[in-house]
Amino acid sequence: MTTEHDVSEPEDRGLSPADLHNVRFTRGSMLRPGYVDTEVDRVLSRVAEELGRLYAEKAALRDQVRSLQAQVDGVVIPEAPSEQAVRILSSAQQTADNYVAEAEEFSRQVTSEARSEYEELTRQARENAGAIIQAAQEAAAKVSGGAAGVDPAGQHSVEELQEQVAYLKAFGQATRTQLRSYLEALLNTVETEWGRADPAALPPAPPRPPAQRSGTTFEANTAAESPPDDAEELPAAAGSRSST
Amino acid sequence: VDIPAMRANFAKAAATGDEAPLYFYSHLFLSHPETRQLFPVSMAHQRDRLFAALGDVVARVDDLEALVPILQQLGRDHRKFGTVSAHYPAVGASLLATLEHFDDEWTPELAKDWTEAYTLVAEVMVEAAEQATEQPAWWEADVLAHERRTIDVAVLQVRPRKRYEYLPGQSVSLESDLRPRLWRYYSPANAPRPDGLLEIHVKARDGGPVSSALVRRVGVGDVLRLGPPVGHLALEADSDRDLLLVAGGMGLAPLKALIHQVAGTGPARRVDLFVGFRTEDQIYDRADLQRLEQEHPWLTVTFAVSEDKVSALEHGDVGDVVLRRGPWTSRQVFVAGPAVMVEDTVSRLVQDGVPRQRISSEVFAPSRPGPTVEGELTE
Repeated sequence: MTTEHDVSEPEDRGLSPADLHNVRFTRGSMLRPGYVDTEVDRVLSRVAEELGRLYAEKAALRDQVRSLQAQVDGVVIPEAPSEQAVRILSSAQQTADNYVAEAEEFSRQVTSEARSEYEELTRQARENAGAIIQAAQEAAAKVSGGAAGVDPAGQHSVEELQEQVAYLKAFGQATRTQLRSYLEALLNTVETEWGRADPAALPPAPPRPPAQRSGTTFEANTAAESPPDDAEELPAAAGSRSST
Repeated sequence: VDIPAMRANFAKAAATGDEAPLYFYSHLFLSHPETRQLFPVSMAHQRDRLFAALGDVVARVDDLEALVPILQQLGRDHRKFGTVSAHYPAVGASLLATLEHFDDEWTPELAKDWTEAYTLVAEVMVEAAEQATEQPAWWEADVLAHERRTIDVAVLQVRPRKRYEYLPGQSVSLESDLRPRLWRYYSPANAPRPDGLLEIHVKARDGGPVSSALVRRVGVGDVLRLGPPVGHLALEADSDRDLLLVAGGMGLAPLKALIHQVAGTGPARRVDLFVGFRTEDQIYDRADLQRLEQEHPWLTVTFAVSEDKVSALEHGDVGDVVLRRGPWTSRQVFVAGPAVMVEDTVSRLVQDGVPRQRISSEVFAPSRPGPTVEGELTE
């Protein structure tokens, strides 16, 4: 007898129709024609066993379907919670809410304190840096002023150059603003004339003097360096200090 | 249906303040424990929202034309919370129990009317939610980069795993596993890109659970969830009018997205961007904005600082600085930032002759600046 696997041996995975199709019995001898009967008997008993198992399974499933059907038909309504249960859960929820709110409030306080400390330290550091740079510039001006005294035919003083730079910056700014005002006004005229926009929506632009900037705003620009990267570390240190 | 009786009944429950919603949620969680996981740990703000929403519905119950769009929006919005149609009857039963509990003169007629009204409400919401199923309820997105720019600002690059469509200027609600069930709105700072990347700017609010987690705890490799985009800041499709963009602090994000849109799809136009911060070191996106300005000759970026004496940048409130550089009467104007800054800038521009209808604005406020147990939103 040859099959994919031995049909006559009971196995965990059960018996499939394909298994039966693949059964090939050994032919008998001249004296006993037909298949070898022991093989046939073994397969028959295995098939009977499998059939019995399937019937049992079918019955179990039928019972399960019945009980589920009964549940659906009866519409098992979840029992309404008791007043007491609702009260207990409500107060537990409120307690939890209070803890969360307290934690958030604590976190808000600690962070805002850390932030203002950080900002104050950064501001002080930048002011110090500004003062140092200014002092250095004054010292440099004195030195170069002395040098200019030695060589009077030489270059402009630092102050003069700074003044010129400031003047040119302000001049550039004023020119840009005037040019822009002119262009905006031109655009306005074009729009009004050609009726591209809703005419009612366009009140006449009030005549505006070009914005002026005083030349002195540039004095402090050397102090506007970004703070060093390690300034970022300050609040972290402050935070860990207050949390321990 | 006796609408006045229903309103009188609802008013009794609403008059108890926090009591009625507290009762409602406890009842719901006890009878349907599986619904608890749809809500955050602290329910304080949730309770407030529930009765506000119910109040809206009850106020409009005799005006279906106004009510139906509200309910449809609510139904679609609830998909990202994990709400499914099976939850609606559970909520209805607990709502009825609550309304009965707080009314000494409860009648079978009231029960019948409320049941009918609620069934209708649920049907509209479920239907709207089901019609929206061609898009996901939420999108998972991987954090590809997380950069701390200042002490409390981070810029995140996130990529949704599925195609995520939005318009430049819109906002996206975000949720992180670190703070489950808490959704907050953020504006992508870029127009949609072929690689799907979103640039998200987050400022950690003091005591803000979501924002501080996004800035200080989320890292590369984490997954965020995105809700569907919302919002009204948008360029008009058929206009090529020059733009004036005014940002205060984190209001920069949606305006930067508009700049990307002009750069990407045109039409060509002049764009002036003014960005206001308190101090110079708070300008968290300076390098990238300056790069954009160099790349695009049509773009001018001006920084303003209001409380920085040593800075060489323009001094003053950003609205002030904008007016100094005016006039802007021919521009389309977009203003985004904190409430005070938006109000101030818009009213100055209007005074200066910019037509009101050409100004769009959006307030960027922390969703909960000071949390209270009473559930008050102090926005």
